[in-house]
Amino acid sequence: MNLTTSLHRSPAGPVLRVLRQRALQAAAVALLVSTACFAIVQSLPGDLAFRIAAGRYGYDQVTAASADTVRAELGLDRPAWQQFLDWTGDLFTLNLGTSLVTGTSVAGELGLYLWSSLQLAAAALVLALALGVAGGALAACRPGGVLDRLTTLWVSGSRALPPFLLGLLLILVFSVHLGVLPAAGHGETRSIVLPAATLAVGLSGLFARVTRDAVADVRQSDYVRFAAAKGLGGRMVFLRHILRNTGVTLISYVGVQMLILIEGVVIVESLFAWPGLGHALVHAIFWRDLPMIQATALALALLVVALNTAVDLGAVALDPRPRHREFVL
Amino acid sequence: MNTSFTATSPGTAVRASAVQLMATTLLAMLVLFAVVGPLVWPDHASQDLSRFLQAPSLAEPLGRDHLGRSVIARLAHATQLSLLMAVLCVATALLAGTLAGILAAWRGGWIDTVLHGLSEAFIALPALLVVLIFSAIANGDLWTLYLGLAMAQWVEYFRMVRARSGVLLAGPAVEAAGMLKLGTVHIIRRHLWPELRPLLTAMATFGIGSSILALSTLGFVGVGVRPPTPELGLMITEAFPYYHEAPWMSLAPVLILTTILTGLLSLRSKEAHR
Amino acid sequence: MSMRVNNLTVTFADKVLADVAGLTFERGRPVTIVGESGSGKSLLAHAIMGTLPASLTARGSLHMDGTTYDLEDRTNRRSLWGRTMSLLPQEPVLALDPTMRTREQVAEGAGTFRTDKRAALHTATTLLGSLGLGPAAGAFPHTLSGGMAQRVAFAAATIGNARVLIADEPSKGLDERARAELASLLQRHVDGGGILITITHDLDLARELGGDVLVMKNAHIVETGPAAAVLQNPAHPYTRRLLAAEPANWNHSWTRGGASIETTGDPLITADGLTKTYGRQRLFSGLSLSVHQGERVSLSGPSGSGKTTLGNVLLRLLPPDSGRVHHADELRGGRLQKLYQDPALAFAPGAALRHSFGDVIRRHRLDPARLEEFMASLRLSPALLERMPGQVSGGELQRLAIIRSMLLEPALVFADEPTSRLDLITQEETITSLMNQVERHGCALMLVTHDRTLADAVTRRRVRLGVDAGSEATLTTPALKTPA
Repeated sequence: MNLTTSLHRSPAGPVLRVLRQRALQAAAVALLVSTACFAIVQSLPGDLAFRIAAGRYGYDQVTAASADTVRAELGLDRPAWQQFLDWTGDLFTLNLGTSLVTGTSVAGELGLYLWSSLQLAAAALVLALALGVAGGALAACRPGGVLDRLTTLWVSGSRALPPFLLGLLLILVFSVHLGVLPAAGHGETRSIVLPAATLAVGLSGLFARVTRDAVADVRQSDYVRFAAAKGLGGRMVFLRHILRNTGVTLISYVGVQMLILIEGVVIVESLFAWPGLGHALVHAIFWRDLPMIQATALALALLVVALNTAVDLGAVALDPRPRHREFVL
Repeated sequence: MNTSFTATSPGTAVRASAVQLMATTLLAMLVLFAVVGPLVWPDHASQDLSRFLQAPSLAEPLGRDHLGRSVIARLAHATQLSLLMAVLCVATALLAGTLAGILAAWRGGWIDTVLHGLSEAFIALPALLVVLIFSAIANGDLWTLYLGLAMAQWVEYFRMVRARSGVLLAGPAVEAAGMLKLGTVHIIRRHLWPELRPLLTAMATFGIGSSILALSTLGFVGVGVRPPTPELGLMITEAFPYYHEAPWMSLAPVLILTTILTGLLSLRSKEAHR
Repeated sequence: MSMRVNNLTVTFADKVLADVAGLTFERGRPVTIVGESGSGKSLLAHAIMGTLPASLTARGSLHMDGTTYDLEDRTNRRSLWGRTMSLLPQEPVLALDPTMRTREQVAEGAGTFRTDKRAALHTATTLLGSLGLGPAAGAFPHTLSGGMAQRVAFAAATIGNARVLIADEPSKGLDERARAELASLLQRHVDGGGILITITHDLDLARELGGDVLVMKNAHIVETGPAAAVLQNPAHPYTRRLLAAEPANWNHSWTRGGASIETTGDPLITADGLTKTYGRQRLFSGLSLSVHQGERVSLSGPSGSGKTTLGNVLLRLLPPDSGRVHHADELRGGRLQKLYQDPALAFAPGAALRHSFGDVIRRHRLDPARLEEFMASLRLSPALLERMPGQVSGGELQRLAIIRSMLLEPALVFADEPTSRLDLITQEETITSLMNQVERHGCALMLVTHDRTLADAVTRRRVRLGVDAGSEATLTTPALKTPA
């Protein structure tokens, strides 16, 4: 037993490991998304240069000559593999190009979209965690009790109602009938309420379920029973043992839910016309605005990786055990 | 305490199977509607603007939509499309993911490294994002949606199968089978398959639900199946402006969608208890 | 001050799981309750402490310090926990919070913890230091060995100076060295004037603790008395049966290594210069070894010494870091078989046993009647084959595993701790089945075990790994020196 080395493990080890693994994942994701986008460009019907030229000068102004200029300028006359290298090279130097629709720099607009999406995601996550964790913890106090049954109902209800239907329902009730909250827009603080609530309802049901099961498990654990046998009171046992160990389970689960959160962000943004990444992506797809598709898709995917990195770091802080588990999301 | 005493209440088991029976019946009725419906109401496309938002009648149980098309015919075709696409996507993803997973776990080495690395990238992509990117390739062509949905889902099966098979193949039971020289067929049939099957069914049930949901979400957002092809999400979007005048028109697709999802969820909750 | 229990019963629905008329516990005299799993000994202890699972009902009364406690009320003794009564948990590794440093977990039990946390932490550090755990005070539980975790749990259970200490199967999973340490810790509590109640199936631990021994069977106490008397001259037939099942007392045709065929046959496995490291720990290096036809070798050593790893290297299931392993042709075609510590994990879990055996018979074109023959000679009902592996008891399943390995008429059977999860009596039954088959087929046996008495009873040649932990693995084969 290498006592001295294993007992005083430096905290930097696992943190660096998380960062390294997630950085690798981010690179792989970026490569995958950009390859897919490149494939789309190559497979698009019609002449790409012609389309870009049309985007620049307007359809009635385009001539074969101007398309040729664009072709030469962008290197579209070269072999595909060379174009691919350029394409990825541009990506890694953060040269995201200009929008084919608005003609403005993609990078500039991306910042605004990202900020809106982050606001929405954060609001939804905080709301979902507050609702779900409180509900789940209370339900676990009395397994089989009224609150436990209500939570179960809540969970199945929130899962059978897809986010876009829930959003529609909320719009109908709060915006159309009651007229208390705006259904779309971004200007005022109140406008975040409905989209955030739509996202939070679905997530909170899942969190409630996991919290309930985790608390119930931890309460049954040998170490909680041993803590009680040591003479600790119920409140002390909860604060010192149940809370943190539930957190360990919950935080890894929050990581899994990040995919669902980001998917939800895309849907809810489109529904409520919330000017974030998802809204922009759907628009870009509608208009076949390739630089924008690539940039927003990439930003969303990297957002998932970033959120999971934060979750991993949280888990490292809460749980000292080395993690043998696979690098899962 | 090395002995555990758990009180089992017979009530829960009975209730679970009753719920499952109900879910199965509902789903069976939906499948029947999807198969027979398009035969009974074959015409979903012909418009008749004079019958704009006509109320339900005996001949047209769900009335007509804003273009005067038969809502029930459109609904039947949409349900058929959703179920067919979902089953096809899940079957493809399951087959590809399972085969790749077993291959990676069994062979290890560079095959495992490559497949696992690829799955690392895919697992960070929200499924909807993959489908969206794919749908950008072509104008709501069904085959791109199919490919996108399958691409978005294979990775879940791959990771589960690879992880479970890895554990099983390294375990004492398979080691013992190896020492008894029982061969590959025995290992797959007796060791891998019985362990993977319940997990795969549960995942596939869930996968069908999420495929249907993804398809309708795409339609709803306007980047999925193109009109005038009937699709559940698209029908909800189209009907929404008229929900006050013709509530049946929006309620019908919503009801179908939630019934499918609840039915699949109830099936799956039983599966998990087993 | 003494403690008395009157008319204690524990029931589940209508079933009586423990029934004891009266027991008195004196300070400075340890009481050890022995018996097989399911005898109700553990429930007795938890009924006294008030920590039974909610589905069980306790009745009876507990008298201590002039107060009477009704055992049915599971809350009336809560105020005693940690200060007057304390429980040393069954599996210390699981009883420690994985996310909290050991010092904190020990300090929680101190009487001053709520009023003066710093003083409690100081006491905890001192206590851990006195148990030789100074460096581990700031460690998290997952970095501790089983023995160390046991000492941390001991510190946490005793820091509140509780007079009554109840130890529930404290030696489970501990090797010989850790068990000796544990016995001296428990002795310390008794020497300090405490009451000690130990629940165990480990007769050696009962011997080391001394004091009084209670033998339990089927919810009742069948014999009581001083440890020396009960464990030397048992009066009750069950106690006699229990003692006879200890490997040191075995008397069979195959005990003590069987004839003098050692090293006379051809070598089946020849290993040369084996080295293997696990993480930073070198398990063995430059190890050479051969196993011959018909011989019986044991491989023993404390937990973590690399017994199982060496076994897997010898079976060529695991490559060594250096060195080579050669198998004779006689071992080809499935004539090298292995038995596992947990037989439930060695069968396909999702297939009825009939299918698992059917596959072996079909694959090797065996006569199905042979299986029936084996089942009969090992006194196993054919109906067992219809069940799943998880539905068969550990002892019966291990015997089924023995049959499965014997179907291929192996030249060598490698048994990895085949009985370490079984009761003494079941262990003897299982080893007897195994040895009868080994004797009948004249096959070689390699037995991995942490139990020296078992190794002594079954094999003549013994390979011991890592005798003194920490230094490099050592290899001794004492029996080779004097073939009697």
